[in-house]
Amino acid sequence: MSLLKVTSMTHKFGGLLAVSEYNLTIEPGQIVGLIGPNGAGKTTVFNLITGIYRPTAGRIEFNGQDVIGLAPNRIASLGLARTFQEMRLWRHMTVLEHVKMACYAKISYGLAGAFLQTPKRRRQEQEIEERAFASLKMFGVDQFASQLPVDLPYGAARRVEMARAAVTEPKLLFLDEPTVGMTPEEMMAMIEIIRDMHNKLKTAIFLIEHRLRVVTELCQRVQTLVFGQVIAEGNPEEIQNNPEVIKAYLGEEKVVA
Amino acid sequence: MHHSESTAIHPRGTLDFIRRFFANIPLLGWLAGALAAVILEQAVGTSLAHALGLPRIPVLFGFLIFLKQPALIPGALGYVLVSNILPVCIVAKIGAPLFNLLSRSLFRMPIVVTAVVHLAILYAIFHIWTDVSAYRLIMLKLMLISILLTLSLNVINGYMGEFSCSHPGFMALGAYAASLFTVGLFVNDRLFGEALLVSDFAVIFFPLGLIFAGLVSALGALIIAIPSFKTRGDYLAIISLAFTFIVKSFLENLEFLGGPRGLSGQPDWSSLPMVFIIVVLGVWIINNFVTSTMGKALNAVRDDEIAAEAMTVNTRKTKIIAFMFSAFWAGVAGGLFAHVIRFVNPSTFGIQKLAEVLAMVYFGGLNSVYGSIVGAVSISLLGEALRPLEILKWIIIPLLLILVMIFRPRGLISFKEFNIEKLLKPRG
Amino acid sequence: MNLTFFLQNVVNALQWGSFYALIALGYSMVYSILMLFNFAHGDIFMVGTYIGFALTTAFIALSAAGIVVLPNWLILILTIILAMLFTSCLGMLVERIGYRPLRGGPRASAAITGLMIGIILQTTVLYIMGAQRVLFPSLIQTTTYNVAGVAVTNIKIMIVFVSIALMIALHQFVQHSKWGMAMRAMAFDYAVVPLMGISINTIAAMTFAIGSALAAAAGIMYGMAYPIIDPSMGILFGWKAFVAAILGGRGSIMGACIAGFLIGFIEIFVATIFPSTLRDLIAYSIIFVILVFRPHGLFGEPYSARLRL
Repeated sequence: MSLLKVTSMTHKFGGLLAVSEYNLTIEPGQIVGLIGPNGAGKTTVFNLITGIYRPTAGRIEFNGQDVIGLAPNRIASLGLARTFQEMRLWRHMTVLEHVKMACYAKISYGLAGAFLQTPKRRRQEQEIEERAFASLKMFGVDQFASQLPVDLPYGAARRVEMARAAVTEPKLLFLDEPTVGMTPEEMMAMIEIIRDMHNKLKTAIFLIEHRLRVVTELCQRVQTLVFGQVIAEGNPEEIQNNPEVIKAYLGEEKVVA
Repeated sequence: MHHSESTAIHPRGTLDFIRRFFANIPLLGWLAGALAAVILEQAVGTSLAHALGLPRIPVLFGFLIFLKQPALIPGALGYVLVSNILPVCIVAKIGAPLFNLLSRSLFRMPIVVTAVVHLAILYAIFHIWTDVSAYRLIMLKLMLISILLTLSLNVINGYMGEFSCSHPGFMALGAYAASLFTVGLFVNDRLFGEALLVSDFAVIFFPLGLIFAGLVSALGALIIAIPSFKTRGDYLAIISLAFTFIVKSFLENLEFLGGPRGLSGQPDWSSLPMVFIIVVLGVWIINNFVTSTMGKALNAVRDDEIAAEAMTVNTRKTKIIAFMFSAFWAGVAGGLFAHVIRFVNPSTFGIQKLAEVLAMVYFGGLNSVYGSIVGAVSISLLGEALRPLEILKWIIIPLLLILVMIFRPRGLISFKEFNIEKLLKPRG
Repeated sequence: MNLTFFLQNVVNALQWGSFYALIALGYSMVYSILMLFNFAHGDIFMVGTYIGFALTTAFIALSAAGIVVLPNWLILILTIILAMLFTSCLGMLVERIGYRPLRGGPRASAAITGLMIGIILQTTVLYIMGAQRVLFPSLIQTTTYNVAGVAVTNIKIMIVFVSIALMIALHQFVQHSKWGMAMRAMAFDYAVVPLMGISINTIAAMTFAIGSALAAAAGIMYGMAYPIIDPSMGILFGWKAFVAAILGGRGSIMGACIAGFLIGFIEIFVATIFPSTLRDLIAYSIIFVILVFRPHGLFGEPYSARLRL
């Protein structure tokens, strides 16, 4: 059974067709890429699958379960985590609190625990903290644990965001342009981090990217989205040599390799 | 280059010296000093006041004298120095080694025990201090209640970052519910007839009444919480404001609760120990909540709701809990308030109350227990100190708040976590 | 309810709603430019009314003393113009002191500042005038016309027409003048305004000035229709007009006008059908329900937290 199966998903904003007849299958452990020019609807695809928007038509099955109409936090609890292009870190929370917060679904101490210092609460908070530290360590940012996101270097903030997503123990992780705004060295480091995480956690990854280099390094399969429609799908070499892709994507924009 | 700073007396240097001079005193030492000071005042305060040319003990550290009787200012300052500042500092400083010793042995016990000992001393200070005048008693009770009220509003406006204007409404619900409970059941009253139960067990029944008050107001909070799923910011602010107006005019139209004239005859159950215990309990529980990961979800919703949802946070549940929890304590505060004043009417809970509690929250600081305590205490004290100016105080307090907003837009002490262990730990 | 009775109330509601609409415009304009509500606006309306009161009293005294003898209609026109001028200065002052230093800061701080400025204005008037109500001098002899059983006074006609004229003038200004275009541009995007050679500060000050002038006009007309005024009228009217601005959809000028009239209608009809003590309860409940089901107001752009991705 596929981990994620999206069938003819369509979404309209007002009269505008943002995504049309979109199909996607991701198997456990796979890394799939999604490329396309700006405004092609890549992030909208993410938002539709993760429940932020509700598609106008189509089916989305995650782990065999229909997830259309579920709240984003429910979908996330099922094991579908994500990062954001603009990171969306919480401005007034420390790095450690960020990662602890992502363990929200694992809390079971209830209101009694939240209001009173029950032993169960102490135990669980302790567990969560250890788990959070482990995740921060994995991404090499545990030394920032008590800092606020505004005080972090850009690359570290990106890693914190990944640590936050990874701590939910996702079966599938959506990464929205994880290397945006990075220097080539930072980009290579990020590729290694993603690869490393993939080896350790065995999660499947669905990746939006602007830079072909990242996609060719990491992905087994790539989709190209233009104006809300997939115009090509295949392995990275096929995509790079596909005339449609070159025309629609490479032709009009200079791609940073 | 010649450095002139080294020779001149540096104000910062002096301040630093004072800070270092007192750095080794644990909180226990300060409490002991304050206890000594209030005992001293009780024993010789009146004679000291007479000796300094004051008619009686200055009830509020001379604040009330400054504007009313400027001629007495030197006397009042002398009194405050001799009776308040000096005993506190001397006892705390001289006894510092002893208090550190005590503090260390206390610290080895569970933190609850340590906290209770400190609180017991704090209560003793309050008790003796208020013994001197009835004014002090009522003022202290109202101040404690406003701490609870401010902190409960901070849960929504600070920790969750909504701009809620519904607190006077919640407080009104609590005040009326508690009054209904006590007046209806325990008092021979014109509206409700004879008492159904004897009132000998205020200690048991009053907390029950307060819980009832909190629950009624938490139930009312659902009316705001549910629209908050879809609405944020200005619209929620206006919905919550409409809620306050609705509650107020609803109560005005309920003849059996006295209509616009209000409800009186509440038993005198908001005693100092009662108010103290309830407020301490409230602050403790609120602090527990906002420091738990479940409570931190409020911050996540405030800073980025979409990220919160993507990280498995149940935002709806979070909002419902936040509103109901906050309203519960506002209701409890309302119930206590009604039994201090022993009279409630709907017009108490209007825009004025809203401005007052918002001022306390934003003056003290968002997202901070310390901030709420500082805000509630300083606005209360300022209100009392400026009382002789009559309505002009409503120019000075707002001006002050505007200055705070311009220079510290999030309040004096914002985003500072209340750490009990750090507060109570021995220093040296 | 028969038709005459109904029409009578429609006429009353039109007058009553005019005040709300004019005040709501001030809230709405400031909102569309600065994305914040000027919570002091209700009290600016109150101060405007008192300025009008002071001017009228002064002109009447001058006339009575024979120093400058002016006919009543001229006094009225002068009062309206001068009061609008003075009140717009007050509005600009409020913007300069209370809002400009906070631009870019947390929005809640600006809301608090606005509330506090409102309290200061109210206290100042209270301090100068005392808490007792004052009687707004009547300048126009009330004439009642009977149109098919419906009593219409000349004052009512004037109020409704002046209000609508002001609204149309504002609309024309915003749509066609250079300044109006800059305002609209700023409502759309801060960054473009400097490109047009106009500073954001100028536009913000102007918006406050216009809103305050409209509030002053509303205040004077209110004084003519209901001559007893007191310093708490700012709160009473301000909050309802604020609700009208929200109900109309934030930043929507047309919406603010229509919602202002709507609230006037709701209040007048509730007061005729139910005991008057229920007026606020029912009016606010209706508003509450509308906002819960249409959180972006009646004419505002639909928005949701979700869409701000």
